[in-house]
Order: sequence, then structure tokens, then C-alpha cells
Amino acid sequence: VSEELVHQDVALVDLIDRLLGSGVVIAGDITLSVAGIDLVYVGLRALVSSVATAEQKAIAR
Amino acid sequence: VAAVAERGLWAYCVARASDPLPEPLPGVDPEYATARVEHGPLAALVSEVALDEYGEEALRRNLNDFAWLERVARAHEGVLERALEDATLVPLRLCTIFADEAGVRAMLSAREADLGAALETLTGREEWTVKLLVDREALKAAAGAEAPGGDPAAEAGSGAAYMLGRRRERELRERAAELAAGLAGEVHERLRAGAVAAVIGRPQNRELSGHAGDMLLNAAYLVERDEVESLRERVAALEAAHRALGVRLELRGPLPPYNFVPQEGA
Repeated sequence: VSEELVHQDVALVDLIDRLLGSGVVIAGDITLSVAGIDLVYVGLRALVSSVATAEQKAIAR
Repeated sequence: VAAVAERGLWAYCVARASDPLPEPLPGVDPEYATARVEHGPLAALVSEVALDEYGEEALRRNLNDFAWLERVARAHEGVLERALEDATLVPLRLCTIFADEAGVRAMLSAREADLGAALETLTGREEWTVKLLVDREALKAAAGAEAPGGDPAAEAGSGAAYMLGRRRERELRERAAELAAGLAGEVHERLRAGAVAAVIGRPQNRELSGHAGDMLLNAAYLVERDEVESLRERVAALEAAHRALGVRLELRGPLPPYNFVPQEGA
């Protein structure tokens, strides 16, 4: 995923972060278990996020 | 007669049964159109999906295929943005899939209270996101201009001058970081003051998202619909006030309110 993702536009990175990282989590009965999605998402999320810098910590305070 | 591929129901969002949902649109699986499934006071917007592509095993594979993920994410978002034009909605996470309508109804029944409460919170309000970007060089220049100038020990031995230079460089970096934090804090406070709720996200990695400048703030605001104009004005005023720092504020909305729905689920 990583190398492809690097070349995508900001809106898309943003979109995927929103659609997979937030929203009401309801376990569908087909069920992609929520855990299954999370496994995929952990890798993606590491890419999408940057490590918090000192400035960001200051904001979050 | 077993030739038909098995299908499931992909759910996009939940709305009040009394709110209008869009006419059938192409779903994430373009073979099938969106439809509504009602139960009591709630309705879910769904579309059929072929399980050989959207079943659990297939999804594990397909979610790692970036082109597939992009197509599905854009289709899901497209349906939500269309639905958002006419209804208050609670967006669901990508890949919420049910076996059949009975499964969707069972979910609407089991989650009636918290979904209803989420819809109450969102009624008449919109989610807008703001990204604060600054030009790193402009920020450093501003930090330098504010720092105590000159260097009285310039004539001192080279060792001392070196140490002094190092210290000054460090102070400059610290001052730039303070300026950045102050700026982000100011922007967030100003925008939050006009919002019902606010969420600060993680600033995005520059290499990844390709944005110019440093992202100092990546926030979402839930605002009353009649406060949106005021939000635009605040954003424009903040941008103008800090133009010298190369500040850009990217405002987007209204968006499906992913940041303002309960994040814990059953």
C-alpha cells in the first residue's frame, strides 16, 4: 500500500482516514469482523499519520 | 439454480425514517443501486454487493489493493454526500456489511437509542474541516526577527562563537515552534468559539499528503447551519491576519459528520 499511497492527493488520504478511522462502528453480520478491518487499517493509519511533533502536543494540551 | 453470486448489503449511513433519502444511486458495487431499509424510527441506506468481492476473505485482500480501496472509498463518500443534501445522517465506517435486510433491521433495532441520540446531536448542524498550513521559512524568519538580534561576542574566539551560534540556532528553532503552537492554538480557539463541538486530528504527514508547507492543525468543527457563514468569515480573517507567515487555511464542508458520531461501537 505504502508506495502507491505516497503518490495520492491529500484529499484521498484524508478521505480514507475519515472513512476507516472514524464513524460509528457497527459489526455487520457478514461480517467482516471489526478486528479484520483493524488489522488492515493499522498499517494504513501509520502511513496516514505523522508522528506528533512538539507543536502538535502543545495544541492538544 | 446456484449460479447467482451470493450477495450482501453494504450500509452507508443511518437516518431518520422520516427524512428523505436519495433516489436509487449506483452503489459501491456498481452493479447494484442504493435502497433504504427501515425499522421503527430509523432508516439505513444500503446497496447490494457481490460477496465474491466484498465478503470477508475478499475484503482482506481488496482493502490492501489501493486502487480498489480508492474506488470504494470515493463511491461510499459520493453516496453519503448526496444523502447529506436532504437528510441528517450518521455515517457508518467503510465495509459495514450485512447478510440481508433482516440483519440491517436487527442492527437498527439494537442500536436505536444511540443512533437516535447521534441524529439528535447532528440535526441542523454541519461538519467542516480546517487545515492550517504555514510556510516553514516564513515562520523561521519571523522567529529570527523577534529574537534578540546582534551577536556581541562575534569577536570572541572561534570556539565561543561556534557555541553561541549553536545556541542561537536552537533558540530560533524553539521560538519558531512556539510561534507555530501559538498560531495553531489561536486558530483553533477562534474557530471552536463558533462551533458546537470540535475535534483535533493528527496533522498529516507531508511526504504522504503532498501538501505544501507545514500542517500545524487538522481539525473538524460541528457548526450550526446558520453559523457556517460566520465560520467562513473567521477563517478568512485569520488567514488575512497571518498572511506574513504564509498561512493558508483550507476549509472543507459540509462533510458527512464522521468526526461527530459515537466512536465506540457494539
